[in-house]
Amino acid sequence: MTVSTDQHKEGKRDVTFRVFRFNPQVDSKSYFDDYTIPVERGITVLRALNYIKEHVDASVSFRAFCQAGICGSCGMRVNGISMLACTTQVWDMLAKSKEEGVVRVEPLRNLPLIKDLIVDMDPLVDKMKHYSNWVDSTMPESEMGKKEFLVSEEEFLKYDKATDCILCASCVSECSILRANKEYVSPAVLLKSYRMNVDTRDSMHDLRLAELVKDHGVWDCTHCYRCQESCVKSIPIMDAIHGIREDALESRGMKDTSGAKHAEAFMSDIEKKGKLVEATLPFRTNGVLWTVQNLLPMAVKMILKRRTPPPPPMVKPSKGIKAFRSEFREMSEHVKQDHKSHNK
Amino acid sequence: MKPFDIVIVGGGGAGLYAAMEAMKTNPALNIAVLSKVYPNRSHTSAAQGGANAALANKAKDDTVEMHIFDTIKGSDYLADQDAVEVLCSEAPKIIRELENIGTPWSRLDDNTIAQRPFGGAGRPRCCYCADKTGHTILQTLYEQCLKKGVIFFNEYFALNLSVNGSRSKGLIAMNMKTGAVEAFPARTVIFATGGYAKMYWNRSSNAAGNTGDGQAIAYRAGIPLKDMEFVQFHPTGLRKSGLLVTEGARGEGGYLLNKDGERFMSRYAPEKMELGPRDLVSRSLETEILQGRGFDSPAGKYIHLDLTHLGADLIKSRLPQIREMAMNFEGVDPILEPIPVRPTAHYSMGGIDTDNYGRTVMEGVYAAGESACVSVHGANRLGGNSLLDILVFGRIAGHAAALEARKFEPAAISEDEVKDQLAELRSSMQPSGHYERYGELREELGQTMAANVGIYRESSLLKKGIAEVAELKERFKKVRVSDSSDVFNTNLLQVLELKNMLDLAETVAAGAFAREESRGSHTRTDFPTRDDEKWHKHTMATLIDGHVKLGEKPVTMGRYELQERTY
Repeated sequence: MTVSTDQHKEGKRDVTFRVFRFNPQVDSKSYFDDYTIPVERGITVLRALNYIKEHVDASVSFRAFCQAGICGSCGMRVNGISMLACTTQVWDMLAKSKEEGVVRVEPLRNLPLIKDLIVDMDPLVDKMKHYSNWVDSTMPESEMGKKEFLVSEEEFLKYDKATDCILCASCVSECSILRANKEYVSPAVLLKSYRMNVDTRDSMHDLRLAELVKDHGVWDCTHCYRCQESCVKSIPIMDAIHGIREDALESRGMKDTSGAKHAEAFMSDIEKKGKLVEATLPFRTNGVLWTVQNLLPMAVKMILKRRTPPPPPMVKPSKGIKAFRSEFREMSEHVKQDHKSHNK
Repeated sequence: MKPFDIVIVGGGGAGLYAAMEAMKTNPALNIAVLSKVYPNRSHTSAAQGGANAALANKAKDDTVEMHIFDTIKGSDYLADQDAVEVLCSEAPKIIRELENIGTPWSRLDDNTIAQRPFGGAGRPRCCYCADKTGHTILQTLYEQCLKKGVIFFNEYFALNLSVNGSRSKGLIAMNMKTGAVEAFPARTVIFATGGYAKMYWNRSSNAAGNTGDGQAIAYRAGIPLKDMEFVQFHPTGLRKSGLLVTEGARGEGGYLLNKDGERFMSRYAPEKMELGPRDLVSRSLETEILQGRGFDSPAGKYIHLDLTHLGADLIKSRLPQIREMAMNFEGVDPILEPIPVRPTAHYSMGGIDTDNYGRTVMEGVYAAGESACVSVHGANRLGGNSLLDILVFGRIAGHAAALEARKFEPAAISEDEVKDQLAELRSSMQPSGHYERYGELREELGQTMAANVGIYRESSLLKKGIAEVAELKERFKKVRVSDSSDVFNTNLLQVLELKNMLDLAETVAAGAFAREESRGSHTRTDFPTRDDEKWHKHTMATLIDGHVKLGEKPVTMGRYELQERTY
């Protein structure tokens, strides 16, 4: 029988919490307040904030509920990264801090600020509604409660991990697309959409998918992986995003969207030449008419500045292209198999 | 504001099921859900283990009858037998319905919903989705409510009922985002606000907001509360935070060990061992600790919950949340080391007195879930029956309110009434001279409740508890709200929650002092046995002239006679 003694070594030190402040009733712009408090090893950021609220400044405002990492209320940025305050150890944050002894606490990004560390979650809920983030059962309401759908372990595993999502909005806060375009669907909503679309009990797969491939949808993601890296539940969000794209391309014949065509053109170039033929990429993605109408002025400017990509015949295949091609095909095959076993 | 047909207070499992069912019953009704948090944050999400239903997927010989008997026996015969019958016979239907609308469930080899053994149950009948059952149920219900177009007022804090004689006219609530006090005139109001076990503060597994708001509002409006002294202590709270380690951990085969490495449950429940009912297992842990066989640490004495023999694969696939929590909050990986645990206040059996349709004594007011007391749990709730309770009775209350709402006249709430509430709030914010800190009072309330109205109770301790709660209530009058902002004033919110907890703490302590017997979760060392002759009855607590007045109500019996409860 082992009794861990590590956990009983309760170190203690003063820590400064640099807390983002903004009260819309009185402040014209935000500022930071520093609170220096004694913190023991093993204390979470949320417990430290509670201490500040109870003992130093009751006006510091933040959300907290379960304090156990399951309700998702206390999403905030600690030292610049979005996470749950209740599952984050102050000691760990000190180790990663740029300034000795200081932990910086700020509200989530990409959602409207209400006060201090509190942001408005309504835009996220609105998107969940827009993308029908619910199972629309194939069973009529009058039949419900009489028998179970039979769902295999394999089918369950397709959405098991995605249902871990607690809508804490860390991924929303970290998303690089949302910073530029607030209308973008959002990683959490893509994840939920994927979870619904792979559920065998759901009846509105095609409608949901059709909405997802429109503007501000699944094709806008740039694969920066920040959503996945910041997920407090370690959900492979990018797998879901790839899953939706794969689904749109492969099984549902949605190859005529610009996102799909862009991906296909990209793949074909890499396979043929080992590099991109950039000059023709816009035509193949958006069609000749759209490209001429929308990109001609930019093309003229690029020509004047001598920034044009080389014309297609000038793009020679990369060195060792033969060996690369066979590896490329092997990889594509591997990815396909992978998706088959994971998604379908 | 336009009058509503139904206003549901609380967006957890009971509230959302009520909303969904009411929409289904009559789509023409004007229904709103008010919640002090976004509904998907509600404490239902923390329920890990599962929900009981005699589906007989796992044990083919399981029956509704056996579920009924286990529940009545588990309640130490204080549950109303007709209510338990409703609970258990509706169970298979409601779990299937939840499955049919898209709730994820773990599956058995034959692709049916998986079931596992749970404390106090004769068969493995607890339906689960890994250790995130409450979370997946809550998400599904929220999704379905969004689909049905339920109107949500998120982050509204309910203040009081507006009452006209024996009738409710609706609700008065504060919009957290603006600080505005608003009227919600409504033909019917359903309270689904969750439990009150957070009054034990750091010795509680509950979310910070489980402060019994609905019960306190109902109590202040003159509606009686039932069996408030029955608070369930869960055997396995994490040592430092009180956070819960699900019974599923023992259902999967975890051991409880004292410092001598002994599986001590063999002394208390030789047959069921770690899977004895919660009250018994909690008392066993407390006894081990009191008799010096616990481990020692600066954060208090504790017991080991050992999962190491279950292996990494099982822990990772069946108990992933537990592993995460043990690592985050105790720094222990259960694959390698035992988890330090001790009993923690977990569930409130008591609540707003209702009939089997969720109706209270006040016309137009309903209650469901942990905030209500039907009673299906009696003196002790079985694991896996709380999720079931919120689903079954949330649905029944939603259905009943939808059928009955239009019988009542549309209500109106006067401007003056709203203004009074606002004035009362404002005046409570700035006492002159000496003032009290709400954080200290809250901490002290938790301490006195755990020490004097805890697992083991006794006359002199309870007297002390009652006096201390009264003193805290007095000091509360001098609590200052130092945040003067209207926007999202969480300082004010926490003060209002503390007021609710103090009102309810008085009823818990008074009930515990009056009940001179030991039954279920209520253990009196000075009255160590069950006394059916004097105490086989419900305790009713009513607010009269600012003080708690106790009364009683008979227990509805059925085909099960009183028996000694042994495991």
